[in-house]
Amino acid sequence: MSPRTDGRPRIGLLSAAHLHVDAYVANLRAAGADVVGLTDDDPGRGQAWCAAHDVPWFDRAERLLDANLDGVVVCSETADHRRDVEAAAAAGVGVLCEKPLATTEEDAAALVAACATAGVPLLTAFPMRFSAPMREVRELLATGSLGQVYAAMGTNQGELPMRHRAWFVEPTRSGGGALMDHVVHLTDVLRWYLDAEVTEVFATTNRILHAPTVTVETGGLVMLAFDSGVFASIDCSWSKPDVYPTWGGLRLELVGERGIVGVDAFAQRLTVHGGPEGPLAWPAWGSDANQGLIDDLVAVLRDGAVPSVTGEDGLAATRVALAAARSAASGAPVRLDHREPGR
Amino acid sequence: VRIGIAGAGSMGTTHAAAWASTDAALVAIAAEPGRRPTELAERYGATACASLDELIELVDVVDVCAPTDRHHDIVLAAAAAGKQVICEKPLALTSSQARAMIAACRTAGVELLVGHVVRFFPEYVAAKHAIERGAVGTPAVLRFTRSTYRPRGRGDDWFADPARSGGLLLDLMIHDIDQARWMAGDVTRVYARSLAVQRPEAGVDHCLALLTHANGAISHLEASWAYPVPVFRTRFEVAGTAGVLDHDADRDAPVRATLAAAGAAAADVPLPGSPMHEPPHTTELRHFLAVLRGEEPRRVAAVDGLAALLVAEAAARSLHSDQPEPVATEEMPA
Repeated sequence: MSPRTDGRPRIGLLSAAHLHVDAYVANLRAAGADVVGLTDDDPGRGQAWCAAHDVPWFDRAERLLDANLDGVVVCSETADHRRDVEAAAAAGVGVLCEKPLATTEEDAAALVAACATAGVPLLTAFPMRFSAPMREVRELLATGSLGQVYAAMGTNQGELPMRHRAWFVEPTRSGGGALMDHVVHLTDVLRWYLDAEVTEVFATTNRILHAPTVTVETGGLVMLAFDSGVFASIDCSWSKPDVYPTWGGLRLELVGERGIVGVDAFAQRLTVHGGPEGPLAWPAWGSDANQGLIDDLVAVLRDGAVPSVTGEDGLAATRVALAAARSAASGAPVRLDHREPGR
Repeated sequence: VRIGIAGAGSMGTTHAAAWASTDAALVAIAAEPGRRPTELAERYGATACASLDELIELVDVVDVCAPTDRHHDIVLAAAAAGKQVICEKPLALTSSQARAMIAACRTAGVELLVGHVVRFFPEYVAAKHAIERGAVGTPAVLRFTRSTYRPRGRGDDWFADPARSGGLLLDLMIHDIDQARWMAGDVTRVYARSLAVQRPEAGVDHCLALLTHANGAISHLEASWAYPVPVFRTRFEVAGTAGVLDHDADRDAPVRATLAAAGAAAADVPLPGSPMHEPPHTTELRHFLAVLRGEEPRRVAAVDGLAALLVAEAAARSLHSDQPEPVATEEMPA
């Protein structure tokens, strides 16, 4: 990758399907990148988004990838990630791909391999790696003050995401429901915290919430076993009502040798009653984890830095989410074998 | 109504104080065989009995507060003598013991009231009422947490022996098993993991259980004896089709005292609770008294105690099998 002489990486956006693109465009500009343009399979959606965000519209991905880019951010429907990442790899540009990496293990492994073969960096969009409260716990664990970690309980609950983007609840495009949406973040945090791999997954799910509206699971409880002996539960349910003051949240508690540590990634907020936001609002004041993610991408593309979170991390978490879906379907725990990085 | 308490440890002491604020007469207290609980009995003007037989002679109601492994024998003796029975949770060490106790009380024509006291904690009662009012619609995903340190029995440390206390599942998680059933109905399947099984050398226990209810709801239960003294934290969350309700005793504590360190004082047996005009154990015993007098319908039936044990037994099987385990079904006459 040849660094720009002006130090401003040129970034293209592959699709506005995922709502995170709204945040990333501001994060990219704040990080000193040039947002070269956006393309989208849905020209109406793409052109409207470009007009709203003052970003040039490209009618074809090939034209955007041909625009002397350093990298792309892939925000397409999950089922299209492989196509888009492989196109970027073929064009020799680095990639930040939204989570989950793909709707199948085959696609996830293929897109990771494509980037490795092309020699382009691939980052997975796991912003919790850049959340200041989450990082503080990582540092606390590194000091050894909790001692050995024994067990963990995580919740990553949210609203039904179809209010923001309807394809989230279409299994052919998203890969599934609450399991595919919300298992990967905490799985990645736990892999990062514990430096361990998941060996077994059990999941129980239901579709009581929003039952008339969607065909996918909306409630999900998952138990993971790690090779280090840790067991951890994840509540990935879309169990926050539409009137909840925010989209949802992410919390984790760790039980260890010398006590318990809890973290709420989104606790840094005001409580506001009244005013234009309604009877209760929670304006956030914590550091922007997405900015950390985009800063990492820019450092990788501009300075050749090592990514803090890779495609391999995305693949590992996707395998866990898919195993959870298989467990929920069969009613039995699913074992995962380990793979060497780079496989 | 003449009350006798069988068991003079932490729970017997709690019940004695609770009975004292009712209009029932606490007339007798028995400890383990051969020891008269003189001090406790004197405090309430009751007879300190040297044996269970002596206590049964003196009372109309036997309130069983002995270690869990003694529940079965005491309840059978009380029923055989035709006495009404109140029994602390868990109802018994095993579902077969519980079944025998229920049958014996039924045969004797006496009540068997199980002390699932969380049904008398106002925050849980408020949640139950809110659910019944439709505040959250149909419950779908429920979470219950009960985190504390391992209790210590007076005299011999019987809580440390799972063969006597039933361990973390039967002694602590049983509360939230009962709550999950109370709020979301019967449980058909359990998947569970515990520190005691995964990592016995840790010396503390922590258990997670995922329940599947007959109506499709799912529950996450967390019970812990891994917290440092004097912590006791309870939390719950019920997410349903119309909304979500939650309670966090830590977050919602009405009193916060930050005092110069004086060493952590802690009860042998941790009891949770928010400041109230009446402690939940008193509310519970007042209700049991009203049931015995025919004034109120039972809030908790003996079969609820049995049902909770059946869920706990499925969880215990799952801990060792690493598989989800079906909950044994039981013909449960009301």
